[in-house]
Amino acid sequence: MEYANFPYLTTILLSCIVGLLVILCIPEERKTQIKWVSAVFSGITLILSVYLFMAYDKAQGGLQFVEKLPWVESLGITYFNAADGFNLPMLLLTGIVFFTGVLTMWELENRVKEFYAFYYLMVLAVFGIFMSMDLFFIFIWYDVSLFPMYLLIAIWGTTRKEYGAMKLTLYLLAGSALVLPAIIYLFVGSGLNTFDITILMKPGTFTPDQQKFAFILFYIGFGILAGVWPFHTWSPVGHVAAPHGVSMVHAGVLMKIGGFAILRVGIFLCPEGWQHWAQLMAVLAAIGIVYGAFVGLSQKDLKYVIGYSSVSHMGIVGLGLSTVSVDGLNGAVFQMFAHGVMTALFFSAVGYIYDRTHTKVIAELGGLSRIMPVASTYFIVAAMASMGIPCLASFWGELMVFIAAFKIYPVRGALAVCALVVSALFMLRVVQRTFYGPKNEKFAHLTDVTFGLGIPRMILLATLLLFGLFPALMFDMIATASIPFFNGLP
Amino acid sequence: MKWFLFYPELYTFAGGMVFLSLSLLKQANPRRDYFAAMILAALGVLVCLISVNQEGSLFFKTYQVDLFSQVFKVMLSLGLFLIICICSELKAIAERHHPEFYLLLFVSTLAMMMLVSGAHILTIYMALELSSYSLYVLVALRKGERVGLEAGLKYFLVGILVSAVMIFGVALLYSATQVTYMTDMMRVLPGALDSPMVVIGLLLTLCGFFFKLAVFPFHFWAPDVYQGAANQATAYIATASKVAAIAILIRMIAVTGDGSTYLAHVLVILSIVSMTVGNLAAIVQKDLKRLLAFSTVAHAGYVLIGILGMSTLGYSSVIFYAMALLVMKFTAFLVVVKVADDGSNLQMSQLAGLHRRSPLLAMALMVSVFSLAGIPPTIGFTGKFLVFAAAMEKGYFTLVLIAMINVVISLYYYLLILKAAYLEEPAEELPPLSLSPQIKILAGLLVCVMVAAGIFPRYLLDLASAAAAVLN
Repeated sequence: MEYANFPYLTTILLSCIVGLLVILCIPEERKTQIKWVSAVFSGITLILSVYLFMAYDKAQGGLQFVEKLPWVESLGITYFNAADGFNLPMLLLTGIVFFTGVLTMWELENRVKEFYAFYYLMVLAVFGIFMSMDLFFIFIWYDVSLFPMYLLIAIWGTTRKEYGAMKLTLYLLAGSALVLPAIIYLFVGSGLNTFDITILMKPGTFTPDQQKFAFILFYIGFGILAGVWPFHTWSPVGHVAAPHGVSMVHAGVLMKIGGFAILRVGIFLCPEGWQHWAQLMAVLAAIGIVYGAFVGLSQKDLKYVIGYSSVSHMGIVGLGLSTVSVDGLNGAVFQMFAHGVMTALFFSAVGYIYDRTHTKVIAELGGLSRIMPVASTYFIVAAMASMGIPCLASFWGELMVFIAAFKIYPVRGALAVCALVVSALFMLRVVQRTFYGPKNEKFAHLTDVTFGLGIPRMILLATLLLFGLFPALMFDMIATASIPFFNGLP
Repeated sequence: MKWFLFYPELYTFAGGMVFLSLSLLKQANPRRDYFAAMILAALGVLVCLISVNQEGSLFFKTYQVDLFSQVFKVMLSLGLFLIICICSELKAIAERHHPEFYLLLFVSTLAMMMLVSGAHILTIYMALELSSYSLYVLVALRKGERVGLEAGLKYFLVGILVSAVMIFGVALLYSATQVTYMTDMMRVLPGALDSPMVVIGLLLTLCGFFFKLAVFPFHFWAPDVYQGAANQATAYIATASKVAAIAILIRMIAVTGDGSTYLAHVLVILSIVSMTVGNLAAIVQKDLKRLLAFSTVAHAGYVLIGILGMSTLGYSSVIFYAMALLVMKFTAFLVVVKVADDGSNLQMSQLAGLHRRSPLLAMALMVSVFSLAGIPPTIGFTGKFLVFAAAMEKGYFTLVLIAMINVVISLYYYLLILKAAYLEEPAEELPPLSLSPQIKILAGLLVCVMVAAGIFPRYLLDLASAAAAVLN
């Protein structure tokens, strides 16, 4: 472990907190000022997360930028942040989606101050989960990230927003209802009086039976958030109901928390439980991939299409985790990153279109590529990424997972690849009906996306391309964590 | 006699006497009564704080003064002070009855202070009755409406029934063990818990405290009384009275030592049923006070989870939980009192548009509701976490899981409250709520306390542990 010279990780959290406080102090009427402040502070977090990603010493590996502070000594709670090859991609993803999300919501006019305040609170917690190495803090951040979501969706959302918000919050809290007993179970069971993951993950801390029991609770609890079939039903409903910026964070980052927490908490602490339940994980993941693709095929609403494709893509993450191999882990983490950026681009693009046309129903759109070619491009690129076209980031994640899966679960792997073809089919169908074909005259007067409003989409698109062309940037990073972890397994 | 040990009680008694004499005056003067009460209560908190480190016993050892009792006395006096802070517009009580209202508050607090210090079963019983009788009258004082009287009567009838049951239990306990002092009980009871008479006697005795805490099946009075009493009186019953009930329940259970499995099983069942009944019933409530009454029943269930482990860790977690309950329940009632500024009952629908009428109150409501639901980083979460950890230490995994499921159920109606405050718009435009600066500061402080104590629970935690340590 290498202690940080400068607390970069805490600075990320602090810039969220300071940003939040500054927003709270600005009068409600000064909407532009609020937006600029939001953009500046989220920009700081983006810069810091990019810096951390570049400054991480890959040759040395392990935990870096470590910050440790005893919090409640009698309970063994430590404020313990660190970065490694698993969470740096996630921090980078959060930085990108946060900044672009703020910019995507630039045209918001209704209750701006409250929106950005809740938005900041949510992202603060998301950063917290990704960087924390203390079980207690992970849980706290996890819950904190959920509850602003209710208001964000219920106040600023669109389709069936109150239903969607309530369903989402209750589902995710039900997940935490499984996670908290499991955390306390491990805490009490270890007898070490500590929540420090680096101590608890030492082999031999927990008996195999304890691990099996705790792992399934973690898997289901966090799996609800990761959109694991059959606990995914909140996710399309929630995505559709949420405002675009929130959908971006939500599908782009929040669902990744589920996958990441299964890795960081479930797999790190209970490796034997992981191996024990891997078969089940693979089955659920494969069903999720196939199911998401087929249900997506019959959707009529653009956001529902993206929502179900998310279920399908998060299934790929689950499949990667279930292979119990280095390639699978690498692929899963890469896929989480790539899918996060891709979905953010999707929702950002849909957001622009919806704000102009006020409809997300595919049948009502049509020929949009001739009305707003640039806006359409963003969506089409995202759709291509979703289909797994090479040169875009998602290709590598999927490839890696499928290679790993074929070795271990040939049947389920084959099924999943077939489902990819279906998902390519429905994406192409959506693209064709929405952007090509006869032009809907009703929307002929609409203007295309301006340069300023296009910035967030460009950033996302550039990220997809960058990691699509140079996947080694990401794979080398993940490998610094996955290979030592895998070698350390009993 | 070491009278200084008795200062908090003496002071509260003197405060009550002031209002007794004020009630004799012909001229009603609500402002005077309010300020007198406020100053007296604020000084009362100080007196309790000063005597927090006192130790000793009084009245032939029937009265125990230790850190445990003193911490609870601070909480009780703080509860009294907070309640009086929101009494500036006491419209639900006739003006000429204001001194009596404060008198009853002081007397009831005095009784509860004696309750938490009681070291003899009769002291405890007397104190319990005194506090209950003050509350019966307090509930019935509500102006003009039959509903107050009805609630008072209902409270009274259930209360005397339970106290008859309790005294029967005390008699059984005595006939089986021939002890009345808590110190003797601590010596005799752990060995005698196999005898059915002792267990039944103990359980019947506990009924009296279960009634106070509104544990199932003694919770039937709660919704009607909460609804029928004046908002401030309800707030008092929901905060200070619950704190005292928790204290005496801990003391009573602590004398059984490691306890018997039989007793623990009864408590487990009561806890599960309380949580579930409370949460399910709360879902359908339209009246905010009724809803909070059922949430109190559910919280009584969570409290029992901590107690039934019968470990020092469990007791300290429950003491922390009592502090949390005091702050978060009070904040919820602060909003009730201020939004229903004409003294009427507050319907959920009346919260509509609160986020514009008073952003501060809406935020206070949000934080208190999340705290009640046990969402971090609030004091309510820390309390629940500690309670669950203590139960898990004793191996009650299923119980904790059921409790967590209950937390999710409860979140539904807590979110409905939020929805009413943040999303719904009133049918007709309502003016912004005007709050006095004191109330604004108080609301802001409460929010800060709830969040700060959730993020830095260390000091309160140490205090709770120290208080629980003196029990054994």
